[in-house]
Amino acid sequence: MKRTLSVVVSILVVASMLLTSCGAPAPTAVPPTAVPATKVPATAVPATPVPPTPVPPKEPVKIDFWFAMSGKAGETVQELVKRFNESQSEVIVTATYQGSYDDAITKLKAGLQSKDVPAVTQMYDLGTRLLIDLKVVKPVQDFIDRDKYDIGDVEPAVRNYYSVNGVLYPMPFNSSNPVLYYNKTMFKEAGLDPEKPPRTWAELTEAARKLVKKDASGKTIQYGCSFAIYGWFVEQFIAVQGGYYVNNENGRADRATAATFNGPEGVKLLEWWKSLNDEGICINLGRKTADTKKAFDSGVVAMTLDSTAGVRDRIDAAVGKFDVGVGFLPRSSEADFAKSGTIIGGAAVWILNLRPEEEQEAAWKFVQFLNTAESQAFWHINTGYYPVNAKGYNHPDDIAWRAKYPQFQVAIDQLHAAPFNNYTAGGLTGVFPEARQTVEAAVEEYFAGGITAQQALDKAAASVTQAILDYNDTVK
Amino acid sequence: MAVLTREAPAGVSAERNARQRRKEVKQWLAVLPYLGPSLFLFAIFVFVPLIRTVVMSTYATTPIGEMTKFVGTKWFARLASSNVYLNSLKVTVRFVLYTVPGVLALSLLLATLGNLRLRGISFFRTAFAITLAVSGATAALIFMFLYHPVIGTFNHLMELIGVGRVPWLTDARYALVSVAIPRIWLQTGFATVVLLAGMQGISDELYEAARIDGAGFWQCWKNITLPLVSPSLFFLLVVVTLNAFQTFTEVNVLTSGGPIDSTQVVVHEIYRSFYFNGQYGLASAQALILFVIILGLTILQFGVVEKRVHYT
Amino acid sequence: MSKHRTKDIIGKIVLYLLLTIAAVIIVFPLYTGFVTSLLSAQNLDTYPPKLLPVDFQWENYAAALKMAPLLRFVFNSFVQSSSVMISQLILASLAAFAFAFLEFRGKQFVFLVFLSTMMIPWEATIIPNYLFVQRIGWDDTYLGLAAPFMATAFGTFLIRQFFLSLPRDLYDAAIIDGCSNLRYLITIAVPLARPALGTLAVYSFLQSYNQYLWPLLITNSTNMRTVQIGIRMLQEFEREAWNEVMAGVIIVMIPTLLLFVFANRQLIRGLTAGALKG
Repeated sequence: MKRTLSVVVSILVVASMLLTSCGAPAPTAVPPTAVPATKVPATAVPATPVPPTPVPPKEPVKIDFWFAMSGKAGETVQELVKRFNESQSEVIVTATYQGSYDDAITKLKAGLQSKDVPAVTQMYDLGTRLLIDLKVVKPVQDFIDRDKYDIGDVEPAVRNYYSVNGVLYPMPFNSSNPVLYYNKTMFKEAGLDPEKPPRTWAELTEAARKLVKKDASGKTIQYGCSFAIYGWFVEQFIAVQGGYYVNNENGRADRATAATFNGPEGVKLLEWWKSLNDEGICINLGRKTADTKKAFDSGVVAMTLDSTAGVRDRIDAAVGKFDVGVGFLPRSSEADFAKSGTIIGGAAVWILNLRPEEEQEAAWKFVQFLNTAESQAFWHINTGYYPVNAKGYNHPDDIAWRAKYPQFQVAIDQLHAAPFNNYTAGGLTGVFPEARQTVEAAVEEYFAGGITAQQALDKAAASVTQAILDYNDTVK
Repeated sequence: MAVLTREAPAGVSAERNARQRRKEVKQWLAVLPYLGPSLFLFAIFVFVPLIRTVVMSTYATTPIGEMTKFVGTKWFARLASSNVYLNSLKVTVRFVLYTVPGVLALSLLLATLGNLRLRGISFFRTAFAITLAVSGATAALIFMFLYHPVIGTFNHLMELIGVGRVPWLTDARYALVSVAIPRIWLQTGFATVVLLAGMQGISDELYEAARIDGAGFWQCWKNITLPLVSPSLFFLLVVVTLNAFQTFTEVNVLTSGGPIDSTQVVVHEIYRSFYFNGQYGLASAQALILFVIILGLTILQFGVVEKRVHYT
Repeated sequence: MSKHRTKDIIGKIVLYLLLTIAAVIIVFPLYTGFVTSLLSAQNLDTYPPKLLPVDFQWENYAAALKMAPLLRFVFNSFVQSSSVMISQLILASLAAFAFAFLEFRGKQFVFLVFLSTMMIPWEATIIPNYLFVQRIGWDDTYLGLAAPFMATAFGTFLIRQFFLSLPRDLYDAAIIDGCSNLRYLITIAVPLARPALGTLAVYSFLQSYNQYLWPLLITNSTNMRTVQIGIRMLQEFEREAWNEVMAGVIIVMIPTLLLFVFANRQLIRGLTAGALKG
């Protein structure tokens, strides 16, 4: 009996600890939400007449901005933020680098629990469905409608890409598409026309054969090409052939319920890609585009694929070594050009509704700044992301720059060449990041041998379909 | 002691019970300030979460970890038939098999060398132990450069010795070994220190006596050194194995689990499931299975291997 | 004494050769990192890579520091690790004292409860811990970084063993003299247990300094990142400037390297003592 009593006592003690463990944190949970409110003593201001009053709140509103750009692009983002902060006194933006796009979306999901999220964040297209499903986005459409903001200059394809059911969710910011980078100097040496990059897979294979160089011992010292095993390229290659990544017309007609990237388009792509490596004219350097870029910069490979966002980096890295050429993403055949085109790549800036209204308003101001002609031209010149609005494209700086470096024109032409349909709209599903990684693993598995392209893609598609179903189950 | 008090005469037991109870409560109150803080923290950060992991493993969750509906053993059934998870278990076991013998053998060699009585030996001992000052993330970064496909030092060395370039991190055949190498490098420093300490604790007289009996270096090592450092070796076996089972850093930095999931160890798979894919229920089930495996393995090591350890 | 026996000079040379080869292999990665950290961009990009220091471009270090707040990362790691260490020392001493000197009902059971936490791998609890820390708003704070590790079963065990080795009479006499438990712990037991506490201090500091997964999960802002996470960000941010990345690696290694050089003996004694008793 005594024993049972002491057991009871100890259970009580532990239980009381458990209880306090659940109860105690509550007070600490308050400050984070309370702080932003107290931080902005200007809450009284909105009550005073809003319309023409030029009286700004005394305290500038501080907002966080997450971005996911590295290298030159990262520096340029920070420069833009600096310019914005200096251009006015109402808003102070603090920019935080969050790693890759994948890291950034993961961090954002993590922050949702504690509302520890920025007022505005850069987020890639893969996150569109998820962010909308989680109901954490303040659509910029709301601000556009309220302020009668002129969105007409924004590239229609880009605008539509980030709209779901007619509502524009984020403000387009950095848009890109994949292009072929080639070493003009090597093209000349190999007897190829440095002004005519290959347009089709067959032409690329031909060019690669000519570009391979071996030393006396038979070791390859220069490869024709190297493409990183990057899921984005697969998505693009499927789209340009006129294929869907997920069903229900890429999840645009209705919520996607199955993966369809294992169709003939995907299989054809993988078989061609592998043949390049197997023939020894191209080399597989793994998933990281940084590694293929490095190989291109140091003259180990003559052609590579990357986003147009890297134009500036490639040109800068090649100074004094070789000339960089840029061409369209090669197609399976000339016929593809009429049928379809590339998907909008890159990212946009999203305003989150979890932060106080003042911060959302401040974010809106920042977002407008990013969309100005000056910002977009500056952005284009320094990175290669094409301007998302015509004003930026027609900005004198931008025109002058393109005259000097025609490489910056290619992505824009490719964008305008793409017809507007649900192939080029790209897939929409909440598990896109996972899908991309699964596809990358499938490509690797196929390259390693012992499995056909169809089998590898079927396996990946089955796994992604399951993930889509699990996902749809929880967000409906 | 509890048994003793219970044998008190029946007549006075009620009063004694009461007194005893008061005394126990008083004792507990006196002890609570000492044990309370630790118990409190364990409750919040170990026991309650463990229970929550069990609960969550039977639920469907939203992409941000809110439990939505009970799904029973769905996730466990999924894992049992999932190639991805079984693969991650296999990869983990292979990683353990690469690193544990590697670390033990290398550190035994280094410790033996470091235990020599030579002038300037302390310099070498310091060199052998230097990885103590290196963390997993920095080690992985350094090796990432060494493995670099284009400008990496290792490929250059491989070409110098005529092997040719090796796709260290991009070929599924080599990637796991490539991830294991920095781990072996890192842990060898620690293991060498532990073994050296063990070896230096062996008294010179034992060796003297053996030498008088005509034993050579090798015999001394086999018959004296090895048995006498076996407690240290056992300790290392347990620690290095447990660490290997919980590997994450090197994989995360170097390969993120690729290529073709050839380096997707269990902990990285758990991380990917909940943190990246938002599958909290599934990830909880994965974590529980890992827990059971580690528990079983530790019990096994203590039950079987420790019996062979020579304690002085 | 064995000097006289190893007359064989050749044998000695062979041994030194072996020692040197082993040392070179161990030190090689660090050496390469250092050489690379001083390369110019030009020399970094050319193949074959440089095995000998051909450049001394110290600007890379300035560039690395400019690229990311490395010193802030180091500071964060120190705050995290020191708070874990101090709290473990205090809590482990308290708990160990109770287990070693105090009598109470269910002591065995509570002790088992403590030990059982050592058998639960961190991964088994990380998901709820992560969600919990998020929910109470401790993500991206020092508290969130350190709190889950502030209690230690291993440390409690280590110090309990040490306390048990102290003469019991000492405690009894002190209590009879009217010394309170707490006072005995602070003025007598803790000073005597300095070696064990030193071991625990080194162990817990390094353990938390090297943490990776937990800080990766719960830090969001650049200013809260620990060294291990921050340095990785450096590589992602400037993936192709390996000379600057290596400069960053060397910078963040300096504190632990200094610790290693200056406290080598202490460190090793601590680690081995912990190893053999744990």
